[in-house]
Amino acid sequence: MKNKTGSITQRMYLMRLLVRRNIKNQYYRSFIGVLWTVLNPLLNMLVMAFVFSAIFGRHTDGLDYPIYILSGNIIFGVMRSSTSSSLTCLVGQSDMLQKTKVPIEVFPTANTFSALVTFGFSFIALLIVAGFRALPIWDGIGASYYTFHWQIVLVVLILPALTIFSLGISFFLSGLYVFFRDIRHIYTVLLTLWTYLTPLFYSLNSFEGTDSILPKIMKFNPMYHYVDAFRDMLMGAIPSVKTWIAMYVFAAISIIIGWLFLQAIKNKIAANL
Amino acid sequence: MENGREDVVLEVRDVTMKFNKYEVGVNSLKELVVRAFKKNLKKSKFECLKGVSFDVHRGEAVALIGKNGAGKSTLLKIVSGILKPTTGYAKRYGRITPLLRLGAGFDGNATGLENIYLNAAILGYTKKDIDAKVPAIIEFSELGDFIYSPIKTYSSGMMARLGFSIAVNMESEILLIDEILAVGDIAFNKKCHEKLAELQKQGLTFLIVSHGEAVKRYCKRAIWIDGGLVREDGDISVVFKHYTEAMTKKPAAPQPAAAQAAKPAIAQVQKPAAPAHAEAKPAQSAAQQAQKTVPAQPATASKPAQPKQ
Repeated sequence: MKNKTGSITQRMYLMRLLVRRNIKNQYYRSFIGVLWTVLNPLLNMLVMAFVFSAIFGRHTDGLDYPIYILSGNIIFGVMRSSTSSSLTCLVGQSDMLQKTKVPIEVFPTANTFSALVTFGFSFIALLIVAGFRALPIWDGIGASYYTFHWQIVLVVLILPALTIFSLGISFFLSGLYVFFRDIRHIYTVLLTLWTYLTPLFYSLNSFEGTDSILPKIMKFNPMYHYVDAFRDMLMGAIPSVKTWIAMYVFAAISIIIGWLFLQAIKNKIAANL
Repeated sequence: MENGREDVVLEVRDVTMKFNKYEVGVNSLKELVVRAFKKNLKKSKFECLKGVSFDVHRGEAVALIGKNGAGKSTLLKIVSGILKPTTGYAKRYGRITPLLRLGAGFDGNATGLENIYLNAAILGYTKKDIDAKVPAIIEFSELGDFIYSPIKTYSSGMMARLGFSIAVNMESEILLIDEILAVGDIAFNKKCHEKLAELQKQGLTFLIVSHGEAVKRYCKRAIWIDGGLVREDGDISVVFKHYTEAMTKKPAAPQPAAAQAAKPAIAQVQKPAAPAHAEAKPAQSAAQQAQKTVPAQPATASKPAQPKQ
């Protein structure tokens, strides 16, 4: 038993080292270093807000547009960066995997946790923007565009589901890539499609009254539920029970498939690297 | 040495390893689809190991010998648990440190010190274990202040030093070594050998893959792997003698391709053009001779060298 807890502590330690390495490598030796993790989403948000607010107006679904766009992107970003970095992670570690017996799950898991850490930094960027928009200096009449709500802390209840969901896809892709190296190109396209099929910078409301199929299929898009729940919280609402169930059911399906797949091919990986 | 079964630290039983030949080629979805349409997906199996069994006892040092491609490295990977054998099993009793490729898996952007922690953590050591060993590792590697520089600035020799230092300084019971005894310059090489000798005195078990006679200083026993089978297992000087004889002399069972290659060579003996030229050349490695497209090796026709497949 003691041995078991010892190995868990060891695994956690390894995970910490790997996550730290990932974060460090991301902005390695860049001019202002780790500050980029906050600056990067902030600047991206500014560009998108600048471009798209001209098209969609200042408020979207009752949320200030810069906050709308940033909130969607940082939630989607957890899944995006987790899966796209995990895709190549086993092949990228081929040296190590052929040299030592390593529990391969640690690599996609470390990538997902790294994405979560990046989310933390992006969240700070979001708070900065929200704080800025909450100042009563806008419109020339002392109006503020955003007010904080306590529900924002409920984000910690989305994160486990989002993490598990991303982890499942990461497991699956990292294993699949060992056998089919061209899925990288396919996945890039799929990810772009997924980005546009999720209401990140447009709003589903703008489809109301049209016979677009998009709102109907949206409930099958897992990322929609995570993004939607997060925006509800930012607006001071608590997501519906349906949304909570959808978030955790999608997470469960994803992790079960990903995990089973990785276990099934585990023994063949070293020979195929 | 033979102290009964409880002293066995490595147990290898009937290990066979098959690789799908197509696995080497097909690693893209496109390829798979194209071949499936062409009905070209023949899964010809390539049997790398065909039922290998042996035991290694505590404190023993065993050399694995055999020609290139005989399956030594695959066997080492199976023993260390990296690869899972198709049938049979390899059991390990004790902590194992595989020294298969030094410096593999280092992260170029991280410093030497960070890599020590990362590498050891991947090998399964806790922070406490590593903290205790770091001074010894740094001292042994003789890297000095370079330990705080990113690995990508290291020379390959420095990298190998670091890899070796980590492997031999972390506590383990079994060391698997794959032809890496030539590490660094002469002085460091000497130090490595001294360290290995010291570890051997401490009772570590060694399994060394090698071609050279240098392993004789550690190993009393050798296992000769040939064609995926254990050809001979016993006293190192005897096995090495037989092995050297087989490698330098006429192959015991000439393959059909070898016989074919020999025919035109014999036919050419009649032609007086080539012999002098060929005779002047010392008998070089078989691989080199086989690479020559001109089958004019009449000098060796009476004692044909084995062409590499």
